[in-house]
Amino acid sequence: MKLEIKDLHASVDGKAILKGVNLSIGQGETHALMGPNGSGKSTLAYTLMGHPKYQVTSGQVLIDGESIVGLTPDKRVKKGLFLAFQYPVSVQGVSMFSFLRAAYNNSRPAGSEAPTIFEFKEVVAEKLKMLSMDDSFLNRYLNEGFSGGEKKRAEILQMALMQPKFAVLDETDSGLDIDALRIVAEGINKVSGPQTGSLLITHYQRILKYVKPQFVHVMYQGRIIESGGEDLSRLLEEKGYTWITGYQEEDQAAAPSPQ
Amino acid sequence: MSQAAVSFGEELVRSLSKSLDEPDWLTASRLEAFRSFSQLPPELNPLYTKYVSTFGFQVDQFKMTTGKSEVDFRTFFGDFLTGKESNIVLQGNETQVHAELSDSLASQGVNLMPFHEALKAEESKVRSLMERRNVKSSGDRYGAFVNAFFNGGLFIRVPRGVKLEEPLRRMLLLDSPKTPVVEQLFVIAEEESKLVFLEELYSKGPSVPSLAASNVELVARAGSHVDFSTIQLLGEQATHISNRAVDISNDARATVSSLSLGSAVSRSRMNFLLNGRGSQAEGFEIFFTDARQRFDFETNLVHNSPDSTGSTHARGVLKGESQTIFKGMIKIVNAAKNSRSYLAHHAMLLERTAKSDGVPSLEIDNNEVRATHSASVAQIDEEQLFYLMARGLSPDESKRMVVLGFFEPVLSRVPIEKTREGARFMIEGKWQGEKRRLADRETLLAQTGELTPEVKETEDIFERHYKYR
Ligand SMILES: Nc1ncnc2c1ncn2[C@@H]1O[C@H](COP(=O)(O)OP(=O)(O)OP(=O)(O)O)[C@@H](O)[C@H]1O
Ligand SMILES: [Mg+2]
Repeated sequence: MKLEIKDLHASVDGKAILKGVNLSIGQGETHALMGPNGSGKSTLAYTLMGHPKYQVTSGQVLIDGESIVGLTPDKRVKKGLFLAFQYPVSVQGVSMFSFLRAAYNNSRPAGSEAPTIFEFKEVVAEKLKMLSMDDSFLNRYLNEGFSGGEKKRAEILQMALMQPKFAVLDETDSGLDIDALRIVAEGINKVSGPQTGSLLITHYQRILKYVKPQFVHVMYQGRIIESGGEDLSRLLEEKGYTWITGYQEEDQAAAPSPQ
Repeated sequence: MSQAAVSFGEELVRSLSKSLDEPDWLTASRLEAFRSFSQLPPELNPLYTKYVSTFGFQVDQFKMTTGKSEVDFRTFFGDFLTGKESNIVLQGNETQVHAELSDSLASQGVNLMPFHEALKAEESKVRSLMERRNVKSSGDRYGAFVNAFFNGGLFIRVPRGVKLEEPLRRMLLLDSPKTPVVEQLFVIAEEESKLVFLEELYSKGPSVPSLAASNVELVARAGSHVDFSTIQLLGEQATHISNRAVDISNDARATVSSLSLGSAVSRSRMNFLLNGRGSQAEGFEIFFTDARQRFDFETNLVHNSPDSTGSTHARGVLKGESQTIFKGMIKIVNAAKNSRSYLAHHAMLLERTAKSDGVPSLEIDNNEVRATHSASVAQIDEEQLFYLMARGLSPDESKRMVVLGFFEPVLSRVPIEKTREGARFMIEGKWQGEKRRLADRETLLAQTGELTPEVKETEDIFERHYKYR
C-alpha cells in the first residue's frame, strides 16, 4: 500500500502554493521533508488532510490506488491518514478525554466493537505513560492552555490512539526540549510499525537521529526540488538551503517556464 | 372558581382579585399596577416588529382562569404524581396539581406552597413582603402587567439556619391555549440558610399561542445562600416573560441560572441588588435559539455596598434566523468601595442569518473597585472544525462537539448539579431536534450507565480581560 502524490497543485484563496508535488510513500517508509519557511510544507500537509481552504487545482493524491481528493477529512482518516498539526488547535469546553475517545472510536477498524468507557481509560492510560504525560491532561479542555511542548506530545498521543497507516508529522519536533524530543521521537517510533509510512516535516536534523528517514526531500516554492538519502539532511544542516535553492533559481533562469 | 373572557382591563383586575378571595389592600395594589401598565409606553425593541408589543399576539384573546385549569397532566408528569420525588410542586397552567414536601423539611419549617395559600396563612407577613417588592410597577411595563394580573404563584421560604442541599423543584406545564399563566413568586432565604431551587417550564402537545409571565422576588437575608434556576422549554408559539429581582444582604450569596431553549419570544430581566456588605451575586443567561426565536435579556448588577462581588455570564448559540439581544449593566455606587464586578456576553452564530447583539454599560462611581468585561459574537471556528474532522469526527459530529463545548465554560460554573447536568442534556436534545424532559435523563442514564467526567473551569474571571477603573 502506498500514499502517492502526483503532480499536485493546490491554492489558498486563489493563490497557487503547491506547484507540482510528486512523492510516493510506502508502508514502513520514513520520509523527511525539509525546506525553507513558506516553501509550502504545511500547505502540502493540510491539502493531504483535506482542509476546506486548500483547493486542489490539479494532480492526484492516492491511497492504495484510490483518490482521496474531494473526501472530507474524516473520510481520509478512515483511509488511514493522520496529520500531526504544526499548530494544534485548542477547543474550549471540549474535554481532552471525550475528544480522544471520539477520535479513537472514529478511527477503529470497521466492524470492531467500541470499547466501554472503562476499557478506553485503560487504553489511554498506557499511551499516556509511553509519552510521559500526566493523567490530569484528560480533564483539561482540548489543547487549551497547553504549552507548546505539551501540544506536540498530545498530537503523538492522538497518533498512538488512532494508529494510522500514513502519518504526516508537521514540525512535531519544534518547541520540544531535549528530553521531550527524545520521548516524542521514541513515541513516534513505537507507534509507527512496519505498517506505517510517515512524512516527517522538520527544520532540524536532531529528530532524525532518533527517527531515521530512508528518504529526505527538499521543498522550495511549492515543489520538491531535491531528494536523497539521510546524508542530504546533514549536507543541508552544514550548507543551508541556498546551496540548493540558488542552484535551482539559476536553473529556472536558464530555462524559464511558460507560467 | 371563575373564567373571565374579558380583556386585560380594570374589570379583569377586580374580578381576578375577587375570585381569588384577596384582601382589599391587594386589590388596590393590583389596580395601581394596572394604571402603570396602561400608562407606560409599549416597550420598543429591535428584536420585535415595530409597534408590536412583546406579547407578539393579541392578549385580549386570552381567558384568565384562577385555580381550575382543566389540564391533562397525568401522562406528562407520570410517576412524579405518585411521589417519585419529594419536595416538588407540579403545575398545570396556574393550577397546582401535586405538591410534596418531605416530613423532614416540613418539620424544619420550610415552605413550598401556592402564593395564595401563603397569603391566607400569613397575611401580614406576605403583605409586608408585597409592599417591599423590587420588581416595581412604575418602571417596567411587564413587571406592572404581572403585578396587576397574576393568577397564581409560589411562596418558597427556608427558615433561619436551615440548609438545603438538594433543590426544591417545580414543573410547570402550559396547556390549553389562551390561558395565560401569570405568577408572583417569593423565594426567601432567611439568615444563615441555604435555598436551592430548580424549575422547569414546558408546553404540552402541538404548539399554540400561550403566555407564561412571572415576577420573582428573591430575598437572600444576611449570611444566606440562594441558588435559583430555571430551564425554559416552552412551545414554539409561547411567549415567556420573566422579571427577577434579587435582594442580597450582608455576606449573603445569590445565583440565578437560566437556560432558555423554548418559546417564540422571551424577555428575561435579572436585577441583582447587592445591598449588603460582602454580598455576592452570579447570574447566568444561557441560550440556544433556532428558527425565528427572539430572546431579549437584560441583567443588571447594582453594587450598593462595599466588598460586594457580582458576575454575569451570558452565553449562547444561535441557529436559523433567530435573534438575541443582551443588555448587561454594572453599576457601582460611590459607597461600594472594594467591590468587584464581571460582565460577559459570548455568542456563536451557526448561520449568517442569525444575529446577536451585546450591549454592555458600566456606571462606576468609585475608584477602589474592579470591573471587567468580556464579549464576542462570532461564527463557528472553521479551524476547530477541521481539527476535529482530522481526528475522524464527521462534519456533523465536529460541529456538535464545538457547539456543545462552547457552552461549557459557563455551564460548568452553574452551581446546582441537577440544573447543570439537566441543562447539558436539554441543550444536546435541542441540537438533536428532540423534545425532551429533564426526567428523561435519569431514564437514559439508568439504561447506559455512562457519565463523561466533568471538566471544571477554574479560571479566575477577575484576573483577565480589559479592566475598567
Ligand atoms: N491560509 C492561507 N492564506 C494565505 N496564504 C497562505 C495560507 N496558508 C499558507 N499560505 C502561504 O503559503 C505559503 C506556504 O506556507 P506554508 O505554511 O505551507 O509554509 P511552510 O513550508 O510550512 O513554512 P514553515 O516552515 O514556516 O512552517 C506561504 O507563503 C504562506 O504565507
Ligand atoms: Mg509549516
